[in-house]
Amino acid sequence: MRGKFIIAGFLIVAAVIYLIVSNTGSTAHYFLTIEELQEMGNKAVGRNITVSGAVLGNTIAYDSSLPQVLFTIAQVPGDPQEVERAGGLATILHSAVNDPGAPRLDVVYNDVKPDLLQNEAQAIVRGHLGDDGRFFADEVLLKCPTRYEEDIPDQVEGS
Amino acid sequence: MLSEVGYILVGLAMAVAVYTPIATFRSMRRSDSRWAESGRNGAYVTAGLLGMAVLLLLAAFLGDQFQIRYVAQHSSRDLPLYLKVSAVWAGQEGSLLLWSCLQALFTALAVGRPSERSRPLIPWATVFLSLITTFFVAVTLFLSNPFVLHDTVPADGQGLNPLLRHPGMVFHPPALYLGYVALAVPFAFALAALAARRVEDWPAVVRRWTLAAWLFLGVGLLLGARWAYDVLGWGGYWGWDPVENAGLMPWFTATALLHGIVMQDEKRGFRVWNIVLAMLSFVLVLFGTFTTRSGMIESVHAFSRSPLGFYFLAFIGLVVTVSVIWMVNAGQVLREQHSSDALLSSSGMFFLTLILFLTLTATVFIGSVLPTLTGTLMGQRFEAGPEWFDRVTGPQFAALVLLIGVCPVLGRAASTLRQLRARGWPALVGAGLALVAAILAGFTRWVPLIGFAVVGLAGGTALAEFGRDVTARSRRQQENPLRAVWNLVGRNRRRYGGYVVHIGVILMALGVIGTRMVGFETELVLSSGEPVDAGGYTLVFEELRQDPTQDHSTTRASVAVYRAGAYVVTLQPQVNHYVSLEQDVAVPALLEGLREDLYLVLAGWGDDGRTATLKVFVNPLASFLWLGGLVFLGGGAVAVWPQARAARLPVPEARRRTIGAAVGLLVGILVLIGAGAAMWGPGHGAVFQSVGHPLRGQTAPGFSLTLLDGSTLKLSDLHGEVAVINFWASWCPPCKDEMPDLQAVWEEYRGQGVTFIGIAFDDEEANVQRLSSELGITYPLGMDVDLRIATTYGVTAVPETFIVDSEGQVAYIHIGPVSAGMLREELDSLLEGQ
Repeated sequence: MRGKFIIAGFLIVAAVIYLIVSNTGSTAHYFLTIEELQEMGNKAVGRNITVSGAVLGNTIAYDSSLPQVLFTIAQVPGDPQEVERAGGLATILHSAVNDPGAPRLDVVYNDVKPDLLQNEAQAIVRGHLGDDGRFFADEVLLKCPTRYEEDIPDQVEGS
Repeated sequence: MLSEVGYILVGLAMAVAVYTPIATFRSMRRSDSRWAESGRNGAYVTAGLLGMAVLLLLAAFLGDQFQIRYVAQHSSRDLPLYLKVSAVWAGQEGSLLLWSCLQALFTALAVGRPSERSRPLIPWATVFLSLITTFFVAVTLFLSNPFVLHDTVPADGQGLNPLLRHPGMVFHPPALYLGYVALAVPFAFALAALAARRVEDWPAVVRRWTLAAWLFLGVGLLLGARWAYDVLGWGGYWGWDPVENAGLMPWFTATALLHGIVMQDEKRGFRVWNIVLAMLSFVLVLFGTFTTRSGMIESVHAFSRSPLGFYFLAFIGLVVTVSVIWMVNAGQVLREQHSSDALLSSSGMFFLTLILFLTLTATVFIGSVLPTLTGTLMGQRFEAGPEWFDRVTGPQFAALVLLIGVCPVLGRAASTLRQLRARGWPALVGAGLALVAAILAGFTRWVPLIGFAVVGLAGGTALAEFGRDVTARSRRQQENPLRAVWNLVGRNRRRYGGYVVHIGVILMALGVIGTRMVGFETELVLSSGEPVDAGGYTLVFEELRQDPTQDHSTTRASVAVYRAGAYVVTLQPQVNHYVSLEQDVAVPALLEGLREDLYLVLAGWGDDGRTATLKVFVNPLASFLWLGGLVFLGGGAVAVWPQARAARLPVPEARRRTIGAAVGLLVGILVLIGAGAAMWGPGHGAVFQSVGHPLRGQTAPGFSLTLLDGSTLKLSDLHGEVAVINFWASWCPPCKDEMPDLQAVWEEYRGQGVTFIGIAFDDEEANVQRLSSELGITYPLGMDVDLRIATTYGVTAVPETFIVDSEGQVAYIHIGPVSAGMLREELDSLLEGQ
């Protein structure tokens, strides 16, 4: 009887492994930095891609009548350890935005402007690369790491 | 001063927390009950000290003590009281202090009242639980202290993140923490069972702790989902974010553990399983905390990176090592008598249930770490989006629902196919009915249809089994069916609580299938007064209103919703702009119904306020998710409720239990009311009016108006003429501004089959008379007695102008003042068409 249990359990596990592997091939996204995306060049066109970068505030253009948002993101490292060595996410985002030499990517998002889309936010963009080198996003996730943890208002009074 | 007291309290708690396991350990070595007593007192004192520390932090928030950095970062003077309370756990330092306090409290409660069965395990459990408490207190004291002072004292705090200003956020984090902390109890007792080499009884001892943990985690997850639905404005409730997943994984393993405990209680094996599941649950709790603090995993709402991650990782390593060593040591004790149950029996189904919960946990874990995992294994980072999770977990959830449907039909031992046929028909009937209902309701794709069939199958079995038990009892005991239900559930709370939970799962499954597989979403740009069809509704954007409030300004769009031409509701999605934070927060508006939710988000607007961009979501069966969630939690509450004792207890013991039960009942009711209020209490931007504006193309409501000269004007008497109906008031400045334009256009078009009618809204006849002669108005003016006409036209504010064509149908609606140009354009096109 024990054998049947083991076989049934094994079948379930095998089915789940199959689901994971096949979906990683089809629906999972390549997780790339801007640099890696641009190195892939034409090979990247048409694939599911997630790319993360720092939002350049002055490039955000929003047309609420379409609706469509255009913005540009700048290269940030993908490896969490590398981010840590460089002094944390906030520092990385700040220097990415102010480095004119950093690789950049224009993003087209045919949707309403997200609340948190602003200068030096980290954007995690899911979508695909168009033939024109612009990135067409289906989904934009944003986080602003510094807002509530580190920024202290300027006005202070003596204690 | 406050800060120093805080330091002292946490420092003392640390000292006592270190003392407690040492004292308890000594009691075991020397078999001296005085040391055991001392250890137990240590657990009480730790809890008391940390409780005072939490109250102190609360006082600091209520008293705006911004010299304390944590307070300055998460509060401000103008924050409402309930949010100041919730700000205590809005950040890392405060939530860790709360965690330590709850950990100490649960330690004291778990070891404080040994029963006959738990007594041999208590010393070891005390050691393990107080070591866990020590870890959390140490982290709070040395690495993440909420009582740290500022160098300078800010005049005001930074305020609470606007996204967290929601009643759900008051309950969601503490509920999760309660669940996390309670999971340490089964873990500690599992280790204690191994250490004391008594592996048979521990699951019974911690069953209610596990249930409580499972219940709290469930409430926390449900409230979190509801918060996301209400606040985040993307039309969904679960995004498979790593932080959400971190709460889901221990909940899966806790659910599995509950099923395993049932089996072990009935002496059907599962010893090793239960110990592994208890350990896994606690490790996953630590892992969840690690992911949110370490920045190791990409997440949208991770806390900012902090060095805590390393310490949590080290602690996880320690816990896993200790667990494995004890298990290997205890090897011989764990060996079970060979189980002889067949796969096609309820034991077999429980076994499959455990396997599925474990594969689900593994799936969610792999998905959460997929970028790191694939990056290491393949050199190419892949990321799992919601689609990945939906597709991989979907079949596993379906299989679990299927098991709910199959398991009760099977007997304890092996079942034959004939037995299955005899008791399995309700399942097939349920599946068939659900399939037919879904097809009739218009679902066509086969994946949702299979989903509905599985749900129907499980529902059919659950109802049939319950019905069978009730009729059997009512026949046997000569009770009426309602009484039989009450007695049946009362006598075996665990079993029937479990049934209710399963029914909740089935209802939630309906909601999940509806929202995730057949939802509808679109974006629309609406012009004022222009009806647009979307998702089976007609939406009319009426007006935009901006109001400043204390700390933000609100822009609110009013959108009238019609279904099949009939007015349903006016929805008011809004955007709050927090000036000092430069942040916009969109607040969606919701029309909730059993069949589906209509969910509107205001996404933008034209500068003149005459256009609005909306995101429109139609979420079929979304209400079943929340409804099922409550049924589910209610079932859990029934199961956690203490079983009535057959044996008589000594009086003091009985009294203590009664008090305990009363407190439990009170807390339970408060939690349920709180959860319900957080979910359904606040209005979701829906304003119900008795009547809406008539839609364009609909017949204009008839009326009879007494004019200023005493004569009567009836709309029906105007046949063949175009009528311009203007609602106005003498006390309304924009109305006065538009009247000369109306008069001018009236003079141009009179005699071409056009009539103008001015209807005074909520006004005094004398004022109307005076203003009309002042402005030289010559078109018919009349008083709307008791707002009768305004009500039928859905007018709640003035000015509003309607144009009714020669067929008596509404051709044009304008909210706000009209200009001569607009009127001419509309009248010309109408007259041309005739």
